[in-house]
Amino acid sequence: MRVVGSLRSVVSALFHRSRIDKEMEEELRAHIQDRANDLERSGVPRAEAGRRARLEFGGYQKFKEECREAQGTHFLETLIQDLRFGLRMLRKSPGFTAIAVLTLALGIGANTAIFTMTNGLMLHTLPVRDPGQLVELLHHYPGEPEPGFNGFSWDAYQTIRDGNHVFSDLIDGTMNFFTVRGDKLQPQTVFGGGVGGTFFQALGVRAAAGRLIGPEDVHMGYHAPVAVVSWSFWKSRFDLDPGVIGKKIVVGDAPATIVGVAQRGFYGLSYEAQQDIWWPISLGPSPGWGFGLLARLKPGVSLEQARAEMAVVFQTVVNAPDADPFVRRMKLRIEPAGNGVTTPLSQMLSTPLMVLMATVGLLLLLACANLAGLLLARGASRQHEMAVRACLGAPRARLLRQTLTESLLLSLVGCAVGIFVAYFAAHALIRVFASGRFIMGAPVHFEALTNPDAHVLLFTLAIALLTGLLCGAAPAMSASKTEPASALQQASRIGESKSRRLFGKGLVASQVALSLVLMSSAGLFVKYLSHLRNLNLGFERNNLLLVTLDFAHSGYDAAQFSRLSQELVMRLDAIPGVSSATFSSVSPMEGPGASSFAFAEDDPERRTQASINYIAPDYFETYGTPFLAGRDFSARDQAGSPVAIINETTARDCFGNENPIGRHITLSHITLTKGERTYEVVGLVRDAKYNDLQQAAPPTIYPDLLQQGFIGSQLAIRTRIDPSGVASAVRQTEAAVLKTVPIARIMTMNEQIDSSIVPQRLIAMLSAGFGALGALIAAIGLYGLLAYTVARRTHEIGVRMALGAAGTDVMRIVLRGALRMVCAGLAIGAPLAFCGKRVAASLIPDLPVAGPLPIVVSVAIMIAVGLIAAYLPARRAMRVDPMVALRYE
Amino acid sequence: MPEHAQILPGTLDLLILKAVSLGPLYGYGILLRIEQISHGALLIEQGALYPALFRLVRQGLLKAHWDTSENNRRTKFYELTTAGRKRLRQEEDGWNRLVAAIASTLKAQPEEI
Repeated sequence: MRVVGSLRSVVSALFHRSRIDKEMEEELRAHIQDRANDLERSGVPRAEAGRRARLEFGGYQKFKEECREAQGTHFLETLIQDLRFGLRMLRKSPGFTAIAVLTLALGIGANTAIFTMTNGLMLHTLPVRDPGQLVELLHHYPGEPEPGFNGFSWDAYQTIRDGNHVFSDLIDGTMNFFTVRGDKLQPQTVFGGGVGGTFFQALGVRAAAGRLIGPEDVHMGYHAPVAVVSWSFWKSRFDLDPGVIGKKIVVGDAPATIVGVAQRGFYGLSYEAQQDIWWPISLGPSPGWGFGLLARLKPGVSLEQARAEMAVVFQTVVNAPDADPFVRRMKLRIEPAGNGVTTPLSQMLSTPLMVLMATVGLLLLLACANLAGLLLARGASRQHEMAVRACLGAPRARLLRQTLTESLLLSLVGCAVGIFVAYFAAHALIRVFASGRFIMGAPVHFEALTNPDAHVLLFTLAIALLTGLLCGAAPAMSASKTEPASALQQASRIGESKSRRLFGKGLVASQVALSLVLMSSAGLFVKYLSHLRNLNLGFERNNLLLVTLDFAHSGYDAAQFSRLSQELVMRLDAIPGVSSATFSSVSPMEGPGASSFAFAEDDPERRTQASINYIAPDYFETYGTPFLAGRDFSARDQAGSPVAIINETTARDCFGNENPIGRHITLSHITLTKGERTYEVVGLVRDAKYNDLQQAAPPTIYPDLLQQGFIGSQLAIRTRIDPSGVASAVRQTEAAVLKTVPIARIMTMNEQIDSSIVPQRLIAMLSAGFGALGALIAAIGLYGLLAYTVARRTHEIGVRMALGAAGTDVMRIVLRGALRMVCAGLAIGAPLAFCGKRVAASLIPDLPVAGPLPIVVSVAIMIAVGLIAAYLPARRAMRVDPMVALRYE
Repeated sequence: MPEHAQILPGTLDLLILKAVSLGPLYGYGILLRIEQISHGALLIEQGALYPALFRLVRQGLLKAHWDTSENNRRTKFYELTTAGRKRLRQEEDGWNRLVAAIASTLKAQPEEI
């Protein structure tokens, strides 16, 4: 009641301010008038009475102010006053305001952009019951990149389901693209997934309409022909029509009836790869690693307990009697999945985002130090104003609040601009991501990664407020400590306190230190990128054009392909500028192709896991990989016994030091199918990278594409001129020969390599940008402080020059001071940069951290930047005219 | 003219409440009444009266309304609320206890120790 009442008085006071002010005035004046009348009545002359009455009343303005305060309007009212005043001050110095807002907008914007993505990718909690209990199961071969692959065989699924005591539910769900067709429904590619009978129930998802898939839909070797769609799919395709229940559609090739709609907001198991349709998958043996598994931990079971027990359970899976020796090395991993399952995108970006988050954090800190320095310098030049206000009775708290309001105002304006910056930056980043090979064709829900949600806005507001307080704290403290008397006395000439001067210098030094860290880490990442770009790949990367063909609807059989592909290669060879062309099933750096276990026919114990690429003749000539022994495929091979070419690593793994030519090699479990094939080795080639730039060339086996009767969708063309020069001729020739085969993609090998290292490119690009920005900010900070110091020391400099100091002496003094600050910053920054290097190395395994080059270069750059920033103020100091400087007093 | 006494900090509110408890008053009237009932012994800084009045209104101990005074001028009158009356009693008791305690302390003789 009391609270409501006082709140109402505050609100009404605020809205009726002018009326209340007028009434207050009226009341106080009436008092003075009454008093004057009384005095007059007691015999004081009229003029004297009025004067005495006012005197007796005391400080009229002071009491009025106290009345206002007593009324409870004080806080809001002074806030508005402060804001008005702050805005006026900012308008008065547009240069300062622009620099401050820009610095902050860049700092806050960069943080918001990166956080938007981190939020979308890693911090989004799945909209299911108790997401914290969900874990994801992954299998993992030692030595393979983290974190592993979520797929399990039927045997593994059964063993895990029946053997564990830690999971209350085992949830089976896969993800894939499917073409969905139906009556009044255009065929379209939809991202969806097959789910087990307990999927929705275990996740705690309810139906928005109809029913969801349940255990009754899933049986051994059979599943009910039903499907469930997402709420957003229901809305966008069926306009929320309740008649959707019972609608017949075709998913892939299988007819299904829509039986229900999942609850609004449910998007499957990953925020950035949202699913729109689910159908049941039958139990029973399925090819390969068909079961994607999640589990719900029993209440009270910790992640560690689950890991310990499941490690044991999984041993019985991999130690099955018929398991391949290679499978025995497989390990099970259990990872929390409350924020969604691992996707190619999250896998690719989680480390870069962490690195970038740290980088932009440093950048914001740098911006804070910069602004604090500028505000402090400005505060010093406003000392006179503060002193006047203190003399007029402004309480210390009031001055403190005024200064803080101004810095908060700056940071909020910076925040608003920063949100714009972030929005565009996030979109630009997404364009870079989208060029990554893992992302091409992946179901990325881009809005989720670029559009800020409430979390992001809160985060941004929080950092803006924090920034405002951090920047404003020191200047505010110093403003509130203003000693009116001493500040008013010749405000321009008194020296600053030593501690304050030191603090200002410290801020500049810390900016130098922070930007040294930023720059040296940028140097590290740029060096890493150039290292990746200059690796020896085992093939020649320049002047190589790659064409991906889409044979899906061509209707060609192997014989037609064989004939037409040879004709195409012949006609391509005739194009001026083309030196050779070839077909293969995959091209290097395109992405993973087939794999299998491989062993020498007479030595099955010595086996290796090999990558497979089916190739046509002239593959190695086109790619520029040299033969070490043996021969290429020829037309004669097509009718002969199976032949293959192997690389050095395969030869070493399977044949040791013996000559492999003429020996036989057996492949088993080719891409997870059972069955074996044996080939005669006819050629040995040098190692070449297969799929991953950072990894050594794997054992690779190249069977004959045409002999095996496969269709190869990768066409590679070696050119003598720039590949873009032949692209249109290649298109025309292809269209003339393969009439029903569209070109899915055409790019150079260099572009394909770049698309495989998007995260590294992104880190290098952004950190270089942030490093440059950091140096610029530090330069502004240094310049600001020096310009201000020189302005304050004009008198001193004038005296020195009057006493015979030369201009160069003065310049030297200023430059020396600047260098001292820079060097102090470098001394602090160097160890920090070293620590930063260690942290980066722990995140990115093969970072070239050896060698001090990035730090040395950054130090040199910082010194140069420091001298440039100091030059202008130094020149101004040199040009001080002693007469003018002294008269100025 | 009797000797003036500086009022103790914090007692201004008590004096105002007491003055107003004897009947609704306007600002200058409150000052006059305090002078009158203290026989001019208490000296109040006149302006300080108003912040105190506004504070008491905000605390809900006084309520104010505008009315026409005897000399036909629009004037702001203050009167005691129920909460104000209660507070006045509490403050009076507190004050009396304090005065009694201090008085008995001051009367103490060496032999009493």
